[in-house]
Amino acid sequence: MLVALVALIVVVGLLRPNFLQPTTLFQQLSGAAFIGVLALGMVFVVSIRDIDLSVGWIFNFSAVIAAKAMVLGVDPWIAAGIGIAFGAFLGLINGVLAVWLRIPVIIITLGTFSAFRGLSLVVNESRAVVPPDKTGSFFALFDVKLFGLIPSVAVAFVVLAVILHLVLHRTRFGYRVQAMGSNPDAARLGGIPVDRTRILVLVLMGAIAGLTGAMFLGFREAIDPVTGGDYLLPVVAAVIIGGTPLSGGRGTIVGAVVGALIIQVITTGILFLGVDVKWSTFVTGAVIILAVAVDQLVRRQRERRTRDTVDLG
Amino acid sequence: MQAGALTAVTPAIAVAGLRKAYGGIQALAGVDLAVAPGSVHAVVGENGAGKSTLMKILAGAIRPDAGEVRIAGELAEMASPADARARGVGIVYQELSLFPDRSLLANLFPDRQPTRLGFVDVPAMRRRATPVLERIGLDADPDVSVGALGIGERQLVELSRLLIERPSVLILDEPNSALNERETGRLFAILRELSAAGITIIYVSHRLEEVFQIADRITVMRNGAVVSTEDRSSTSIGKVVEAMVGTSPRELFPPRRDPVESATRVLDGAPSGLVVRGLTVADELVDISFEARRGEIVGLAGLEGAGVATLLGVLFGTRRADAGEVRFPDGEGAPHSPTAAARRGISLVPADRRHQGLMLDDTIETNISQVTVGALHARRPWLDRAAMWAAARRQIAGLRIRADGPAAVVGRLSGGNQQKVVIGKWLEVGPSVFLLDDPTRGVDVGAKREIYRLIREFADGGRIVLFRSTELPEIVGLSDRILVLYRGRLAVEFEGGEIDDHGLLTAINTGHRPDAGQAHPAPPSSPEEVIP
Repeated sequence: MLVALVALIVVVGLLRPNFLQPTTLFQQLSGAAFIGVLALGMVFVVSIRDIDLSVGWIFNFSAVIAAKAMVLGVDPWIAAGIGIAFGAFLGLINGVLAVWLRIPVIIITLGTFSAFRGLSLVVNESRAVVPPDKTGSFFALFDVKLFGLIPSVAVAFVVLAVILHLVLHRTRFGYRVQAMGSNPDAARLGGIPVDRTRILVLVLMGAIAGLTGAMFLGFREAIDPVTGGDYLLPVVAAVIIGGTPLSGGRGTIVGAVVGALIIQVITTGILFLGVDVKWSTFVTGAVIILAVAVDQLVRRQRERRTRDTVDLG
Repeated sequence: MQAGALTAVTPAIAVAGLRKAYGGIQALAGVDLAVAPGSVHAVVGENGAGKSTLMKILAGAIRPDAGEVRIAGELAEMASPADARARGVGIVYQELSLFPDRSLLANLFPDRQPTRLGFVDVPAMRRRATPVLERIGLDADPDVSVGALGIGERQLVELSRLLIERPSVLILDEPNSALNERETGRLFAILRELSAAGITIIYVSHRLEEVFQIADRITVMRNGAVVSTEDRSSTSIGKVVEAMVGTSPRELFPPRRDPVESATRVLDGAPSGLVVRGLTVADELVDISFEARRGEIVGLAGLEGAGVATLLGVLFGTRRADAGEVRFPDGEGAPHSPTAAARRGISLVPADRRHQGLMLDDTIETNISQVTVGALHARRPWLDRAAMWAAARRQIAGLRIRADGPAAVVGRLSGGNQQKVVIGKWLEVGPSVFLLDDPTRGVDVGAKREIYRLIREFADGGRIVLFRSTELPEIVGLSDRILVLYRGRLAVEFEGGEIDDHGLLTAINTGHRPDAGQAHPAPPSSPEEVIP
């Protein structure tokens, strides 16, 4: 997938050399950050063969709560912390409902997709919530550029990706997540606490959505009632283009980063080329199908090699 | 109708030279069989004898590699179940193929509903269904959804569905495994009536007593071939059992523990074992009580649905008991989850290793660490890759897993080596209890012998070992004690060496000890030849 990303950048760069300026390139990274960070969390969810449809509205609702707290005079840093905790709480609701009621996460979050959106609208009264005082260190942070070049949002994206990569591949929690996706029955019969792990994954997803909300608030200094509503599809697309299969067990954080960047480069690349923006949506769709098709091909090749003698009882 | 008429009458259905292979395994190796019209013809045999394959060919569900099927004397090339139905052959499978959310009436006409002006003609469906339901004696509202009916009634719905198509040959593949005695009696009454009306019935079952109640003729299959076909009046349960089992190689099994020695060992070692008292699970287990001592291999035998799987489930924490008491050596009761079981050293090697035991796309290293990393408590959240690698190497060496190393992908190993990986992941926990559910399924003979040796070692190490197998010689050859479950009850208990394959087969099929008169002349209590 990395090859595809580099190829995309090279193609756009050959046609429009401006695109290859460092500033522009790092803009891609920060532009991909919000979808990208959400995709990092979604990698965990997809790794256990679930999918969280409500991420966009957890993101929105958490940002609204954080902004409201700022309106009420809470220190922006603490308000951001409240937003993250609130996101985690919404994730906990998803997880507990799914585990207690034995209903697939996709169904539960289909419900909470609307429920969180509705509650968010109640809280923000269908208006953008704008923190009154934007002079503090919290908001200043988002203007900082590392080495005068890399936007802080991009830095946060990369740092989070490194942390979550380590969590997925180097911790017992990450092992459990991958094992559950690899073979759910074997995981359960192997003594893995599958219910608790599933709840933890959804709490992690919620916290990450809350964190994305706080970052968005710091970056844009306001949260609209509709922002986040259309995040779900690009988030899942980034995960899948990155190579995490919906059948779980082989989650890749690095892949999700690349996937988010591919979507971003397609969008801005098309702008650079002067093509109508509408095409970017179409191309994103085509790339998803292409990515999954290639993945299937690779998988079938692997299975052909794996297949052993017929196993009759 | 007497089957003696066979030579004079054209068989209702007959096969000759039927062969079928799956992969490298010959499921049918040249089967000849002729079924007289209007008779009830039973087909019996152990698991893997080829009964189901034969029935599926007769029903058009699979095509043979070679050989022919004749229906009423005519050569029948059946490419699909619809072909078979069109020729008057209907089959009831063991797993019912009903639509539980749809009405009884809708289930009777899954396809080819009568239509009128292009719409489904419900009144016509009722008209056609009513006489069949009356004939079967199924007294249920045609509009009730099938899911609301009992299992026995559902079986009758399945039968009614076939009868609506007026078949000339009716195949029942273990139709009564889920039925209680009253329902079985009712089914038999119906079958006799159908037989009297000229319908030919092929009846596949494990339960020999019932076979002898209903069948006119009995065919025994073994290893994909017919070994005998006799009139009921000229054979006996004992003879049928003998034909089913044949002879089995005994040298595969490690020597059994001397009962005197093991008794002493129990006395001077820790006396505690696994104690089960009055264990009951609604509709599945009734008042099960037994003890399993440390160091002893307890074999669990029983037909599918007899309760062995449920018992193992309760002991491992995947099932809940409704009543009764379980006491493990650690002084605690049944675990409430597999996680709890793993943390207490209770291990389960599941029956279906590919679906329940392994992560096939992952390495040996990842699989071996599944329980230790995934289930046990740990102080640090980080994975200790060095320890995982060492564990994989330890088990590869200890269990003699043939693989390139810890990084080998488990899906590419042979069945026997895969099973050793499942065993190995549990050995890493240092379990005190081993529950093994059919541990040698789909494993070659060499690996079987190694697994038997391992199981004996587990027991010799002072562990509690309970194992179930679908292969009787295995239970007979390996167990120090055998518990036979029959319809959810602990029906018979044998000491190791007391019983042979024939006796055990009789016990699991009838629920009681073989009669003295039918005991096999050569019980295997004589010293067994052992190859270490």
